[in-house]
Amino acid sequence: MADLDAAWPRNDYSRVRYDLFHDSDVFEREQDRIFRGPVWSVLGLETEIPNPGDFRVTAVGTTPVVFNRDQSGAVHAFVNRCAHRGAELVREPYGNCKDHTCIYHAWCYTLQGDLIGVPFQRGANGRGGMPPDFDLREHGLQKLRVAVWKGVVFGTFTEATEPLPTYLGPLMIEHIGELVDRPVKILGYQRQRVFANWKLYLENVRDGYHASLLHEFNRTFGLSRLTQISGGHMDDRHRHSLLFQYAGSDDDQAARQAYARDRVQRGEYMTLKDTAIVRYVKEHPHGITTRIISVFPNAVFHQIYNCLGLRTIRPIDPGQFEIVFILFGYEDDDEAMTGHRVNQANMVGPSGLISMEDGEALELVQRATAPDRDAYGMYEMGGTGTIRNLDTRVNEVPIRGFWSYYSELMGIEPAGAVR
Amino acid sequence: MTVDLETKSRVDCLLTDSAMFIDRDELSAWLDCFEDDSRYVVIPRENRARDYPVALIHCDNKARLHDRVTCLRHANKFNPHFDRHILSTARILSLEDGVAAVESNFMIVQTTKTGESKLFCAGCYEDRINVTSPRARFRERIVVLDTFSIPTLLATPI
Ligand SMILES: [Fe+2]
Repeated sequence: MADLDAAWPRNDYSRVRYDLFHDSDVFEREQDRIFRGPVWSVLGLETEIPNPGDFRVTAVGTTPVVFNRDQSGAVHAFVNRCAHRGAELVREPYGNCKDHTCIYHAWCYTLQGDLIGVPFQRGANGRGGMPPDFDLREHGLQKLRVAVWKGVVFGTFTEATEPLPTYLGPLMIEHIGELVDRPVKILGYQRQRVFANWKLYLENVRDGYHASLLHEFNRTFGLSRLTQISGGHMDDRHRHSLLFQYAGSDDDQAARQAYARDRVQRGEYMTLKDTAIVRYVKEHPHGITTRIISVFPNAVFHQIYNCLGLRTIRPIDPGQFEIVFILFGYEDDDEAMTGHRVNQANMVGPSGLISMEDGEALELVQRATAPDRDAYGMYEMGGTGTIRNLDTRVNEVPIRGFWSYYSELMGIEPAGAVR
Repeated sequence: MTVDLETKSRVDCLLTDSAMFIDRDELSAWLDCFEDDSRYVVIPRENRARDYPVALIHCDNKARLHDRVTCLRHANKFNPHFDRHILSTARILSLEDGVAAVESNFMIVQTTKTGESKLFCAGCYEDRINVTSPRARFRERIVVLDTFSIPTLLATPI
């Protein structure tokens, strides 16, 4: 077991013990206190299940979850496990059905998750069967509480979880809201398995500092540079975060000189034969060109120019997680806009021109920290102490914000913790 | 369908050469396996099955394919590795106006720089190949990935 009393040598989370990325007891506790705790996890998008009977398999932490639409149009979610002997109930990743029947003993559930059929409940030929007091109503699927906001489906295991709008807060409502203010159209999925701890990814999407240092494509074409108008903002509890960027707000030559001076860029910059991929068509009121919006604990919305997406993160074990990217556009996009979004999807996902590096970087951390779990990573860019919003991306403060809320839920805050 | 041996041999040559060029890290020779007006797409099988256009690598013209290789060479950082393509024999579905529609299967074994190998992916090539000249070239190559939950990342073309 990790020595959680030693997790935080500083009360502002500017040191993070490597144990937290490796320990299996920590991982189990996360399932209990975070994923099954007082949080709203993103399950998916309503447009993934447009018709009655449509379902999709997803996950909340390591728990397999199905969400579906019933005959009345309502969305329900439940654990994908038969209440009888625990078999996985829904075996296709998505589809349409009238009810869910377990293949093992044919127990049958409604789209609301209620048990309606137990074959030979009364036995056969007067023998066997369930005890007379067996009540179907007491053996439904384990249900999640569901909330749908602007077409985004959330689920929680806890009755006490605060209402979704309060949980999201004004910052998330404003920025996610802007991305899903019109009916969306799914353009496709990308999936990636990274052999690293899931929290390294949550750090990564709150890490404004790395985006132009690791990703040369960002730096070269000015999608994201530390010299631009940009920042990292959080909600009051510091659980969610927004990294934003205005491309074109810096001077190209001055920016390139700055990166050369700090010995980031050592050689020539490349050029493109077809520059459509780095063309931004303004379509949202803010005019922000890139934003990475992280929703605690399992989701990221992104807008990278006109590439729009929702990523959900599924931890598998302490050293492995999966990211599911849903790339989307709007129902009223014309063919050219759809083509543009599909072209810009080249920038994201496991083959993304500005994201493939993340898979490698996270695995480097996982591998190299494994042997020295009682050592610490350092998070001081943007300053130590108070956790606050900064209008710069030379900034690791949102990562400290994440650890602060994480520790609160895990019950491992240090004495005098900064929140 | 049955085609003349010359056509069959042109197709086989292109399939083998293009895979070998990737395995030998000769990506400019690989680019030269494509016609000037051509397409290259690596798409998850689930997207192909459901008619979703989003791919992992989506190059609608050769300039974009060229850019992809430039980025790999110049900008991208990824897991250092060697690839080995293991190819099936090709099935020629049709031959019209000098363009053959061809399907073949592949597996790729990836090996780290420290000598550990593992199966990276499996899938199917859906090609349209111009076979009119002795050196056949791709007009379109759709790589359908069965292994669409990509382990770590996918940098090198398939
Ligand atoms: Fe990144």
